[in-house]
Amino acid sequence: MNPNIVETINVAREVAWLPWAVQYFFLIGLSYGAFLLSLPGIVFRRPTWGGVSRLALLGALVCGLSAPVALLADLHQPGRFWHFYAYFTPTSWMSWGAFFIPIYLGGLIVYGWLAFRPDLARHAASGGRLAGVAGTLAYGGHESRGALKAAALLAFVGAALVALYTGVEVAVVRARPLWNTPLLPVQFFITALAGATGLALVFNRFSSRDAAHTLTLSRVLAATQALALAIGALWLALGVSGLSPVHAKALAEVGPSANWQISAVWAAAATALTLLLAWKRPGSGLLVGLLALHSAWMMRWSIFIGGQEVPKTGAGYYSYSLPLGPEGLMGIVGTAGLWIFLFVLITSLLPLDRIAAGAADKAGV
Amino acid sequence: MKSCSDSSSLLASPSRRAFLRGVPVVTAAAAVAPTPAIAATGRHQWAMLVDVRKCIGCQACTVSCIQENGVPEGSFRTVVSTYSVKLTDSAQPAGTYVLPRLCNHCDNPPCIPVCPVGATYKRDDGIVAVDGDRCVGCAYCVQACPYDARFINHETNKADKCTFCAHRVDAGLLPACVETCVGGARIFGDINDPNGELARRLKEAQPQLKALKPELETSPRVFYIGLDERFSGKVEGEGTLWKPRNLQSTAHG
Repeated sequence: MNPNIVETINVAREVAWLPWAVQYFFLIGLSYGAFLLSLPGIVFRRPTWGGVSRLALLGALVCGLSAPVALLADLHQPGRFWHFYAYFTPTSWMSWGAFFIPIYLGGLIVYGWLAFRPDLARHAASGGRLAGVAGTLAYGGHESRGALKAAALLAFVGAALVALYTGVEVAVVRARPLWNTPLLPVQFFITALAGATGLALVFNRFSSRDAAHTLTLSRVLAATQALALAIGALWLALGVSGLSPVHAKALAEVGPSANWQISAVWAAAATALTLLLAWKRPGSGLLVGLLALHSAWMMRWSIFIGGQEVPKTGAGYYSYSLPLGPEGLMGIVGTAGLWIFLFVLITSLLPLDRIAAGAADKAGV
Repeated sequence: MKSCSDSSSLLASPSRRAFLRGVPVVTAAAAVAPTPAIAATGRHQWAMLVDVRKCIGCQACTVSCIQENGVPEGSFRTVVSTYSVKLTDSAQPAGTYVLPRLCNHCDNPPCIPVCPVGATYKRDDGIVAVDGDRCVGCAYCVQACPYDARFINHETNKADKCTFCAHRVDAGLLPACVETCVGGARIFGDINDPNGELARRLKEAQPQLKALKPELETSPRVFYIGLDERFSGKVEGEGTLWKPRNLQSTAHG
């Protein structure tokens, strides 16, 4: 900061991508991350991954179904969402995203249904809660491996496209140097995978409490945290050394801010702590799970809301205070409410314990 | 009825005073029958020259823009950023630096390719405009604009920005900010008209002509004379003391 210049009059532009956007990027990231975690157990039938992958699939579904609502709410003209499909603009990553989301979610829903179909039938047979509805949804309860693999492939393509567009859409914004780095999409992806692992750990804690599940997920989490730290260090090194002008510019933009310094230390410390716990104390599933979720959310909050606090032309930083209405806190609470509703809905049809147990569940056999 | 060429010749008049003399004629003609969209012919390429040396920081442009365009309270399509600058080569401890800001109507506008529904577009006359019927209010353009010139209008819930007062220009009038500029710091005109005041002034000022953030290669159509390098990008200094947005915190839609 140059102390010889004091800005006395200027416009403080408010954030235009609201906390709804943070929620969207958080939830869609958790969803595609959890979807990837579902593959080893469900598609590739890795023996130690069965329950883990099924819990992850539940997370992918709940987060994937709630994310688009947050995205829609972030539009200031939500009723015009159909314009995305009526006026496709190939130069805009957001326009592509409008087509990628249905590919991913369409594939995910079919994949989820095919994966849980036998469980729904078992649940119906056991006469549990909403057994009738579960039986109808099971539609015979057959296991269709071919269809399942095809749906998983479609969802995988969709997930890859969603991961790509959500990262690149932000990274191409040259007007915001903090966003305009090639590492940002990678950082989004790694933290999404970490958050998804955290979510699966939390689900595991509240279902089977399977120690083997916790161990498997802790290993994945430790790997993601190590990667996140390495990429963070690379980002910093590129910025400090000046080897990469875009990273140097990004660092120069936020480096002088005390708030950003605290955020950076916080993020690095939380990641290091998660890594340490997941590595040395893999049994601390709930704690590391919550830590990973916290880091994934905080990273997006800092990037989106913090990034918009940096004026493009004016001096200093804008100050953001979270409004309590729909444009602020209620957006976060509302999305969380929708997430809980969807979680309750799905686990009412298919209880969490049954999902974690899968074919090993003897209750309905 | 006033023809397009009539209005354009007025805009191309050699002096601002001559233009002002003609304004009532054009206004009356426009009221009888709006001129066809002269921009559609592509003959005109509107641009603005801001002579910072003549700006007195009175914010008359800011106010007239709000009045002319019905800009909601707390939002601005143009503003004169004002800085207190410590002086080292003067008996005075500090001086004031003023910098009128507005949409730069770039030739290579970053806001257009990002718009997911094609609502932001460049007219044939160079004006970057927003199709309010198509805009979904996603604010991607707001993020992409390197000049912080765009915002979400809380009354319309659409992207909003300076239009060079396109409705006035189409009617053969000057933008409101130019019309009301006390110091004559804003010169608006057609860069395609070699005899127009804008082209003449741009030519005269060529060696000292500058634009904001040239490194981004947006090719702004707003040019500056007297632009201090320290203010051509993000200003390194102490932050703004005036935050009108705080008044709007409950009106955010």
